[in-house]
Amino acid sequence: MKDYILTVMAQDRVGIVRDVSSALAGIGGNITHLNQTVMRGYFTLIISVEAPDERTQLEIRQAVERKGEVGEFEVSVRPYAEAVPCESCASDRFTLSMQGRDQKGIIARTTTYLAERGINVEDFYSYVHDGVLLMLAQVSIPSGVDVEEVQTGLEAVGGEFGLVVHLQHENIFRATSDVRSIIDFERTAL
Amino acid sequence: MIGQQQILQTIEMLQNEHLDVRAVTMGVDLFDCTDRNVDTVCRLVREKIVRHAAPMVKACQSVSRRYGIPIVNKRVAVSPIADVMAGHGQEGMLQLAFALDAAADETGIDIIGGYTALVQKGMSNSDRALIESLPEVLSKTRHICSSVNAASTKAGINVDALLLLGDIWLKIAQATAEADGFGCCKLSVFANMPEDNPFMSGAYKGIGEPETVINIGVSGPGVVKRAIERIRCGPGRCDLGAIAEEIKSTAFRVTRCGELIGREVARAVGATFGIVDLSLAPTPEVGDSVGEIFEAMGIAKVGGPGTTAALAMLNDAVKKGGSFASSSVGGLSGAFIPVAEDSALARAAEEGHLTIEKLEAMTAVCSVGLDMVVLPGDTTADTLTALAMDELAIGVINKKTTSVRVIPVPGKKAGDRAVFGGLFGESPIMEIPNGASTAFVQMGGRIPAPITSLNN
Repeated sequence: MKDYILTVMAQDRVGIVRDVSSALAGIGGNITHLNQTVMRGYFTLIISVEAPDERTQLEIRQAVERKGEVGEFEVSVRPYAEAVPCESCASDRFTLSMQGRDQKGIIARTTTYLAERGINVEDFYSYVHDGVLLMLAQVSIPSGVDVEEVQTGLEAVGGEFGLVVHLQHENIFRATSDVRSIIDFERTAL
Repeated sequence: MIGQQQILQTIEMLQNEHLDVRAVTMGVDLFDCTDRNVDTVCRLVREKIVRHAAPMVKACQSVSRRYGIPIVNKRVAVSPIADVMAGHGQEGMLQLAFALDAAADETGIDIIGGYTALVQKGMSNSDRALIESLPEVLSKTRHICSSVNAASTKAGINVDALLLLGDIWLKIAQATAEADGFGCCKLSVFANMPEDNPFMSGAYKGIGEPETVINIGVSGPGVVKRAIERIRCGPGRCDLGAIAEEIKSTAFRVTRCGELIGREVARAVGATFGIVDLSLAPTPEVGDSVGEIFEAMGIAKVGGPGTTAALAMLNDAVKKGGSFASSSVGGLSGAFIPVAEDSALARAAEEGHLTIEKLEAMTAVCSVGLDMVVLPGDTTADTLTALAMDELAIGVINKKTTSVRVIPVPGKKAGDRAVFGGLFGESPIMEIPNGASTAFVQMGGRIPAPITSLNN
């Protein structure tokens, strides 16, 4: 069996996950990871699937596409390449929140600041309602990066756009929403 | 990632509802600083406090920034000074108080507690010297807080000590007359005083506590108030049981912040993590008030009928939520009702709904007693003693902590206003029946321990 990563984007309707998973089962595939969301009526899906050695990328993609109307699914398939563990890349997870009046370029400016410091965005949510932006991002700050300097820097970036910015270690949010003992936090990461 | 709603809820609590850690209090044992030479004791004490407190202040700043939670006060609680300074007399006590004050200045500590005497069953010479030094200490130092344990369920009530304290309260008030008797804001007289309380003015490092220990006082009246408002405005019928449940889950979140911060600070400075105190501690700021919680619960005039029941329910629900949230709960752990420090309570006192008698009833179901109650300047020492006897009797009989922090304001009468500023707030001066119990209190002695204390 070979591992593939597959993404599907489509206008949302009932039954897309059924169609995609049935297509994969039909060619002998086994889904090992799945993450799906719907945003403003549009469906996206990312799947990790094990497929028999004889199946090609093209066959997998076409099997899924055929389950929808013509042109309904935008499907992408690529072989899974395992991330190389990096022992010197220890990091700590923080939650970045930004709130304020929406303007062009906020996300670009913020993520540029993060990327320049080797800070990876692991999860991201952004939403504009009545012209007000809410942005939440989970970021990994490599050990060795001065967190207080990053906090000050991000506050300055937010200040350029008139936003309220907070960069807080994720454990504060675990503490207020997870019923497990805080002693366990020292042993486990999310 | 943690749920977006949960993240937003926590951010809302921090930004708009006054959630903070009210006090990180480091207990520091001082018994290894004793010496026959007062100068040596003062030097050793100052060095030890600076050695432990300076890293604690730094750790608080760093942890506060890391998690985005304000830490309002950084405090030190020391071993009872009456015992540490036994044999040195009043002059020695005073000298040490100045050394403690200097150590606070040097380290950035807001308050040092533990200028304390434990006299529930009787006073040693050293205890008496400490109590008699209070007018000078509390008027001439900036950071020292004092406490006296004058009663316990096991020992009864030491009325002789309370008679002495009646005079001392008036002398402290006179010594700080230009500040409306502010010195009295820094003295609490207790029954069943806890050894691990992080809140001032009653914090000291108990004899049974570790060498250095971090105790946490959380806050959060504003968070509880908003939670109650939300559930009352929400869909469906909201009964008192639903409000109690909401308070429980809110107290859980508030307490968890304290536990997280306490553990981090303790680890950073190599101290033992002690306890989280679940008390809801108000500040004079609007939106950070226990009185406003009563109003949110539907009591239009705080102090009116229903207030004691509301407080009992609030206090119980906070304990239930908080005790599940923390691995180690202690201190006072009950809602505070410090009149001057809580703008809604002070307003209720001004409007006449909240009286001393009602406050006393309320203290039967919460923790701290007659706290920050401002009295007329002509209140007699015997009346202060009798008032303290009443309040401590509630603690002794009910096997709980109660305390008295009263401020007789020189030259002012009931209805006038006393202004202390900062976290100490301001309050109207409350009516008190004066001088009616002199013959009773002047008999002195000790009210024996109640029969319920014989529980072995």
